[in-house]
Amino acid sequence: MIKTDIVVIGGGPAGICAAINAASSGAKVLLLDRDSQLGGQLIKQTHMFFGSQKQHASVRGIDIPGILVKEMEEYKDNIQIMLDATVLGIYEDGVLTIEKNDDYIKIKPKGIIVATGASEKFPAFPNNDLPGIYGAGAVQTLMNVYGVSPGKSVFMVGAGNIGLIVSYQLVQAGVEVKGVICRGPRYGGYAVHASKLKRIGVPIMPGHRVIHAHGKDKLERITLIKLDENKKEISGTEFDIETDVLCISTGLTPLGELLWQMGCEMKFIREFSGHVPVRNEELETTVPGVFVAGDVAGIEEASSAMVEGRLAGLCCAKKLGFTNPEYSSLKEDYLQQLHDLRSGPVGDGIRKGLAKIVV
Amino acid sequence: MNKSASVVIIGGGISGCAIAYNLAKKGVKDVIIIEKEYLSSGATGRCGAGIRMQWGTEMNCRLAKYSVEFFETANEVLEYAGDVEFKQGGYLIIAATEKEVAQFQKNIKLQNSLGIPSRYITPQEAKEIVPHMDETQILGAAFNPKDGHLNPFHTTQAYADAAVRLGVEIMKYTEVTGIKVENGKIAGVQTDKGYISTPVVVNAAGGHAQIISEMVGVKLPLYSERHQILVTEAVEPMQGPMFMSFSQNIYCQQTPHGSFIMGRGDPTEPRDLRVTSSWEFLEEMAKTCIRFLPPLKDIRMVRQWAGLYNMSPDAQPIYGPVKDVEGFFLACGYSGHGFMFGPVTGVVVSESILGEEHTIPVDALSYDRFEKGELILEPSVV
Amino acid sequence: MLKSTGIPNEKDLESVIPPKERLAKGPVAIIECFEKIPCNPCYTHCARGAIKEFEDINDRPQLNYDICNGCSICVSHCPGLAIFIVDETYSDTEALVKIPYELLPLPVEGSFVTGMDRGGKPICRAKVVKVQNPKFQDKTPIISLAVPKELSMVVRFLSLEDYYSDSTIICRCEEVTLGEVRELIRKGYKTVEEIKRISRCGMGPCQGRTCQQLIMEEIAKATGERIEDIKVHNYRPPILPIKLGRINGGEKNE
Repeated sequence: MIKTDIVVIGGGPAGICAAINAASSGAKVLLLDRDSQLGGQLIKQTHMFFGSQKQHASVRGIDIPGILVKEMEEYKDNIQIMLDATVLGIYEDGVLTIEKNDDYIKIKPKGIIVATGASEKFPAFPNNDLPGIYGAGAVQTLMNVYGVSPGKSVFMVGAGNIGLIVSYQLVQAGVEVKGVICRGPRYGGYAVHASKLKRIGVPIMPGHRVIHAHGKDKLERITLIKLDENKKEISGTEFDIETDVLCISTGLTPLGELLWQMGCEMKFIREFSGHVPVRNEELETTVPGVFVAGDVAGIEEASSAMVEGRLAGLCCAKKLGFTNPEYSSLKEDYLQQLHDLRSGPVGDGIRKGLAKIVV
Repeated sequence: MNKSASVVIIGGGISGCAIAYNLAKKGVKDVIIIEKEYLSSGATGRCGAGIRMQWGTEMNCRLAKYSVEFFETANEVLEYAGDVEFKQGGYLIIAATEKEVAQFQKNIKLQNSLGIPSRYITPQEAKEIVPHMDETQILGAAFNPKDGHLNPFHTTQAYADAAVRLGVEIMKYTEVTGIKVENGKIAGVQTDKGYISTPVVVNAAGGHAQIISEMVGVKLPLYSERHQILVTEAVEPMQGPMFMSFSQNIYCQQTPHGSFIMGRGDPTEPRDLRVTSSWEFLEEMAKTCIRFLPPLKDIRMVRQWAGLYNMSPDAQPIYGPVKDVEGFFLACGYSGHGFMFGPVTGVVVSESILGEEHTIPVDALSYDRFEKGELILEPSVV
Repeated sequence: MLKSTGIPNEKDLESVIPPKERLAKGPVAIIECFEKIPCNPCYTHCARGAIKEFEDINDRPQLNYDICNGCSICVSHCPGLAIFIVDETYSDTEALVKIPYELLPLPVEGSFVTGMDRGGKPICRAKVVKVQNPKFQDKTPIISLAVPKELSMVVRFLSLEDYYSDSTIICRCEEVTLGEVRELIRKGYKTVEEIKRISRCGMGPCQGRTCQQLIMEEIAKATGERIEDIKVHNYRPPILPIKLGRINGGEKNE
C-alpha cells in the first residue's frame, strides 16, 4: 500500500494545477490519471484558450499541458505521477484501489483532491447506436490525437462552445460540416465561435432536434424536426439530412462517482448540469480532507478549472499542515481570478449555481 | 448634348451597321448610328438568320448571291475577333403541292442561269440529305448546298466593330424623337440624348420604319407583322440544311451550336408592333415540325420569342432616296429578309447616299415603284 | 441577431468601425467582439496600449483608433479570431483586409482567392497579397487580401476556390465563363440582355436562372451601378424545357 500526503485523481488542467500547488506547499503528491499522458481533454483542444494570461489565454489547449508539466518539474521531488491508473473505489478507511495496467494497487492518502472532470451527455433517439454516431470528445480524439478523420461529412448536434469549436476543428480537418443544431432558439456558445463558423460557411440552425438516425450497417442519414421557442416539436417539420457522421455535443455532466462513494453531500445543480458536491470556498467537500476542482465541481471552462485546481491544491496542503509561505496572497489571487472569470454575463449561470452549493 | 454628323443612321440592326460600315469604308466621316436599345435588339436579333439564294426573281437571286459571297469571307473582311458562325448546310425547300413542283423547276432554271448551284431532287434524295425527315410527305424538293445560316448577333457585331474602327459612332439606348426638315431638306435629328444636325438620315428602323418616315411626312406603304420563333435545347448535329416549305409554312434549321431554330408565319398575327409570344404558335409549330421531321418530337424547346416583319406590298425591300425629302434614304420593308440582304443593303444604300453607281442594279426597289405601280412579285416567301 | 445567427448586424458593426477620416489614414484594427466573455489577450498583447485596459476581464475591447497602427499582433492572439486589420489606403480602388486563417493549405501569395462575407457567402475575387505565419503567431496565419475598397467591411474570410476566376463557368447550360462575360462588359455590353444575346449566356435550358444574378453582380461591379437598378433579361416562355412532342397540336393530342 502506497502512503502519501495527497492523492490527486485526474491529470487534466485542474488536477495538474492542484498537484503543482499542493507540492509547492510542501506536501507529497501522487497524481493519478487513467490515460497514458497528462492533460485530460486539453490534449485535444487545438484552439486558442480564452481567459487571461494567468490561465494561459491565447495559448492553444494542446500546448498547455506542456507548460504545466514543465512547471511541475520544479517540484518533482514532491510529485509522483502514475499514468494508466484507474481509481476503482474509495473506501470508508480512506483507501483507494487502483488498476494500473495489470497491477492492482492500494493507496492511503491523508488528503484527496478529486479532479475527475465530466462525461458527455447523450440524447436518446432511435438508432442512436449506429456506427458513425460519436460524442464530440471521441471525434476530437480521433482527429486531434490520432489524426484520423471521423468521416466525410458530419452533422453536429449541440451549439455550445464544444459543439461550435469541434465543428470548426472538423472544418480544419477537411471534413464537411453540414450543419450545427441546438434545441433552443439561440446557440449557446460564444458569439465569436459562432461567427467563425458562419464565415467559413457552416450553417448554424437553432431550434432543431434529431429525432431519428437511419442506416443499414452505419449511419446514412438523420431526421430532424423543428422546435418552437419553447423547444416543443412542430409536427410536420421533419426533414432528412444525409451524413455519415453525427457528432453529439449536447453538454457535459460532472463525473462524481467517487465523491458519492466517499459520502460527500451531493446536490443536483441545473446550472452545473448534474450532481456536484457541496463545498466551501476552499473547495473542500463535506468530507474533511476531500477537495474538488474542475468540471467535477461543476461544468465550466478550462481556465477556471486550472484556478480551482491551484486553489484546491493550496488549501488541501494547508489542511494537512503544509502551509505555503504565500498562502494568503495566493488564495486571494485565485479567488479573485475565479471571481473575474465568472463575473460577466456568461458567468451568470455559474454564479447562480455556486450560490446554491458553496457553504 | 448637341452634335453634328454627315450621316445619321436610325437603327442598329444588320442594315444600319452594314450601311455605316460601307460609308465609313468609303471615307465618310462622322457617321452616327442611333439605336433605341442595343445592337440587334430589334428584328435582326429576333430573326431566323437563314440565308438562301433560291429565289423566284432575278433581283432577289442577285441580292442573295452577293450576300452569300460576302458572308463566306465576312470574318476576314470585317476583321472580326469573334465568329459570325456562317454554316453553309444548304436549304432544302420541299415541294408539297404540284404547283410548287412546277414553280421550283422554273426557279431553279433561273437560279442556275445566275450561277446559283441549286437542283431539283426526289423525295429519296431529300431523305439522304435530311435522314430524319418523313419523305412520304413530299413530292420533291429544291436544294442548294450553298445556302446557310449565321449568328445574327455576331454578324451585326462584326459590322459594328469594323464600323467603329473606321470612326463610326454608335449611340445605344438613344431614341429618335423627331427629324427636322428645312425647305424640303433634312436638317437634323432630335433624340432623347440631344440634337444632331445632319444633311442625311437613313431609315433603317426595321419594324419601326414607317414610324420614322412619318417624322418627315413620308407615309410608307408598310406595316409590321409579328412572326414567332422557337429554339430547342442543343443536341448532336443531325440536320445539315435548313428545312423549309412555303406551302406548309415552316422553316427549321439546326445551328452549329446544336439547337434547332424554327418558325412559321400566320396571317392572323397582330400588326401592332407587339412582340409577345403565343401558345397557338407553339402548338402549330410543333405539329408541322413533327409531321415532317418526326424525331424532333423528343427534343425539348427552351424558349420562344417574336420579332417584326416589316412588310411591303410586294414583299421586297425599299432602297434609296425619297423624292420629296432631300437627304432622307430608305433601307426598310424587307418583309422578313432584311438580315440575309444585310451585306447588299450596306453596299447599295451607301452608294445611293454617295450618288455612286449601284454594284447591283436596285433601281427597281426604289420608293417610287409604288407610285408607278411597278411592283415586283416574289413567289417564294414564307 | 448575433446571438441567434452568429453574424453581427449593422448596429453591432457600427460600434467597431472607425470613422472615415481614420480609415483614410491607414491600417487599423476592427475588433468584432460583441459579447462580454472572460477574455483579454487583445489588451495584454497590444504593445502600443491602443486597447483600453480591462477593468473587468469580461469587458469588451475598446480600441483607441488614433493609437492603433494596425500592426496586427492582436489578430493572431485573439482566441475568438475576431480581429481584422483594414487598410483603406492600400490603393485607389482596393483595400487590404488582414484575416486570421487557420485552415490548410494556406493560400499562396500572389494568387487569387474568393473573399467571403461574415455569412460565408462568396463576395468578390481577392488577391492574396501576403501570408504571414511566423512562429509567434502560433499557427494562426494572417492572410492579407486586396479587395475592392467598398468591400473592406464586408470581406472577413476567404475560400481558396477562385469562384470569380475568369475560367469559372458562369452559365452552365451554355458553358460561358466569367472571363467571357467580363470581356463583354469591358467592351461595353452593360445589360444582361446584350450579354445574353452575344454570348448565349442564359439562353440554355435553365433560361438564366443561375447565371442572371451573377451577370448582374458583374455588371454592378464594373459599372458601379446598384444591382437593383440593373435591368433583368426578357423572361420568355417556357419556364421549363418541354418536348415538342408534348405540345404537338395542342392539349387534345395527349
